[in-house]
Amino acid sequence: MTLLPAIRYRFMKDIGAPAAMRFAKMGKKRPARPPDPLFAPPLAATRRLKELISRHYFLSRYTRGAMPVAWVTSGAPVEILRPFGYYTLYPENHSALCGAQKVGGRMCAHAEEHGYSPDLCSYARIDLGHALTGNTPVGRLPRPDLLFASNNICQTVLYWYKILAARYGIPLILFDTPYRFADAEGGPDLEYMVGQMEAIIQQLEGISGRRFDREAFSRTIDLAKETSLLWGRVLATMKARPAPMTIFDAFAHMLPIVSLRGLESARGYYRLLLEELEERAERGVGAIREERKRLMWDNIAIWPRMREHANLFASHGMAFVTATYTNAWAETTPLLDPGRPLESLAKAYSCVILNHHLEHRLKLMERLIREYRVDGLVIHSARSCKPYSVGQYDIKRLLLERLSIPSVVIEADIADERAYAEEQTRTRLEAFFEALEEE
Amino acid sequence: MHRPDVSVENTLRSSEAFAAPNRKDYIQTQKASHGRKIFGVFPGHYPRELLWAFDILPVEIWDPPIETSRADAHLQSYICPVAKRGLELILDSRARGLDGVLFPHLCDTLQNLASLTAHYLQPDLPVYFFYTPKSTCPAPSWKYYIQQTRGLAERLAERFGPLDPAQWAARSAQALELDRALEALYALRAGGRLVCSNAAFYSFIRQAEYLHPDDFLPRIERFRAVCEGKATGGKRVLLSGILPNPPETLEALDDLGVRVADDDLLDAGRRIPAHAPRSADPWERAAERFFALPPCSTGSSPLKARLERLAAMVRSASAGGVIFWTVKFCEPEAFDLPELRSGLKRLGIPSLVIESALDEGLTGQTATRLEAFLEMLP
Repeated sequence: MTLLPAIRYRFMKDIGAPAAMRFAKMGKKRPARPPDPLFAPPLAATRRLKELISRHYFLSRYTRGAMPVAWVTSGAPVEILRPFGYYTLYPENHSALCGAQKVGGRMCAHAEEHGYSPDLCSYARIDLGHALTGNTPVGRLPRPDLLFASNNICQTVLYWYKILAARYGIPLILFDTPYRFADAEGGPDLEYMVGQMEAIIQQLEGISGRRFDREAFSRTIDLAKETSLLWGRVLATMKARPAPMTIFDAFAHMLPIVSLRGLESARGYYRLLLEELEERAERGVGAIREERKRLMWDNIAIWPRMREHANLFASHGMAFVTATYTNAWAETTPLLDPGRPLESLAKAYSCVILNHHLEHRLKLMERLIREYRVDGLVIHSARSCKPYSVGQYDIKRLLLERLSIPSVVIEADIADERAYAEEQTRTRLEAFFEALEEE
Repeated sequence: MHRPDVSVENTLRSSEAFAAPNRKDYIQTQKASHGRKIFGVFPGHYPRELLWAFDILPVEIWDPPIETSRADAHLQSYICPVAKRGLELILDSRARGLDGVLFPHLCDTLQNLASLTAHYLQPDLPVYFFYTPKSTCPAPSWKYYIQQTRGLAERLAERFGPLDPAQWAARSAQALELDRALEALYALRAGGRLVCSNAAFYSFIRQAEYLHPDDFLPRIERFRAVCEGKATGGKRVLLSGILPNPPETLEALDDLGVRVADDDLLDAGRRIPAHAPRSADPWERAAERFFALPPCSTGSSPLKARLERLAAMVRSASAGGVIFWTVKFCEPEAFDLPELRSGLKRLGIPSLVIESALDEGLTGQTATRLEAFLEMLP
């Protein structure tokens, strides 16, 4: 890293970025909108969220020569990278943004033109489309110096990151988390993961030329744990009736816990959000004006249809109050222990929902259904996400048998809007609404 | 143009020594005559020799010739036919004859399928899971593989009694013998010194999926004795992908006078270790065999390593091009393809992708594409 880019980055961080954010805000002053008939006023924290994420992507453009950049998977133990000073970006997060902005299909098409099958994960296709063309709605992503992945969320990230490693000619570090087919604690799996962490630290020391700061590492874990606990409390506010926000809000507000975990900015943000939500819950302000039914969402969001779905469900008085997906970043937090950093990190990251057998998932869903007083379940069968989708039909059946929870399966995709059958989905959902409303 | 030797083909077809035994009959004989337990094994890498040491016959489930109906109620339309057919078989009454099912860890779909089978669909059927390390860190991976193998041995011992060290050593040695025999057969073929058809070769090779090594090893010797000879000329190709299904594609290559010179198929050539283990300890040896396997789309080996291996195979077998023979919805292979193809192209090696939904015969479109590709080859 050289001095001039470092100074430039510092300047942009302290002066340039805040100025750019203020300038952007000035340009976006809109007249006050009339009250929405379906929704409560938007959360004030949303503005801060936009600033946080915009700033993160904006600053990433000034990293070249100032600091090393790592592209990281959403389930990787990023805490291990923090002491080495990596600027971290999350291709999954970027793909979700592209999906939400309805440019996912276009970017997938770039990858498909280069021979990538349309059957592949759309997060990966969008990212590969970006790698191949440089196209992105966020301006520009910095070239990575390192790839850091964990297959606790899927094996797909390994296949995808191997391509990136080949394309950019950079190291790929994979933290391998054995699938938890049984509930055995510790043993060889834990030993293997801790062994990998020790080896990864050595690798990172070699790659970055920096000594690993164990104290900074423990502090990062402490910070990540607190942030994750705050995120858990944010989600828990939806236990209130009416729920002060819905899962559609949570899908957006989860960005910092995914992308900025282990950083002060994420913790500060969730404190702010939690305060606002608790205050809303206390005043009995619901995210939707008339909450008649409470729902659970299974699988990743359908990013290109977020707004339409939020409106559709709200128009039927249906509030999504919990989701297996958003819960994933709060689920294993209690396992983090700054006093036993490697072991606790291994446990926390390997115990996530997608790395666990299906009975674990079912029990977790049962618990969420009870705690959040859920009336119905919407299962997104996502073509892109096999670890989330394989087994869903049986989970649907078992939840009906065990808890009499009605549910509907909609087959779509996480970020490729071309894989969404409007009429078919609407028909299925209308039938589901009717069934729920009759109860 | 290459033509398989007619007399050899007739021998292979008419002699029981080479024809693939009916799986059902073979399994029943193994149970009745040898008292062996039968395990259904899903695709992936696993220490076969350990199962043999417990007197278990692993019968691999790659593409059972059955229509899926019940499996469709459990798996989405976008799930690969290997998983669907495997599940159909497990849900079928024929699975009642199994003493257990083993799921080596291979991909997201099979990972969940293992849980689905064990927890909900066949809770009375003993299901075993074998995780193969994928870490990019060699030292912990090595140790973990040995621990996994020992762990599987312990779980098997709970049901079938303790592992006999003498059997373990003997079966471990037999696994190496099988590797060597297959390696020799592959070397003959790559060197143009095997005169059987492509269809006959793979029909024979795939017997490894269910024959006990006591039966398969002598068969390899006999097969080699019959087929060894100078092959006639003709175009040569390399196969890469998952498994050679539908067999009509191989027959089409035979009809077109094209010889498969070598392969990188997951259920065939990609299971032969690149070098023989040196350790005398069966546990260490099992790990050595696993880590000596060729680069695979399902593991963490870099794409460059797989590309280099393919290019080297093409060169050493004097193949004119590569046919990637994939299974529909197979994610690991589909991810690798574009980089591999462009890498091969840079090296002047043409390639073709054909996708199979299994046992669909050879479609007119595939036949046309195959012919067009082969015409291009030198």
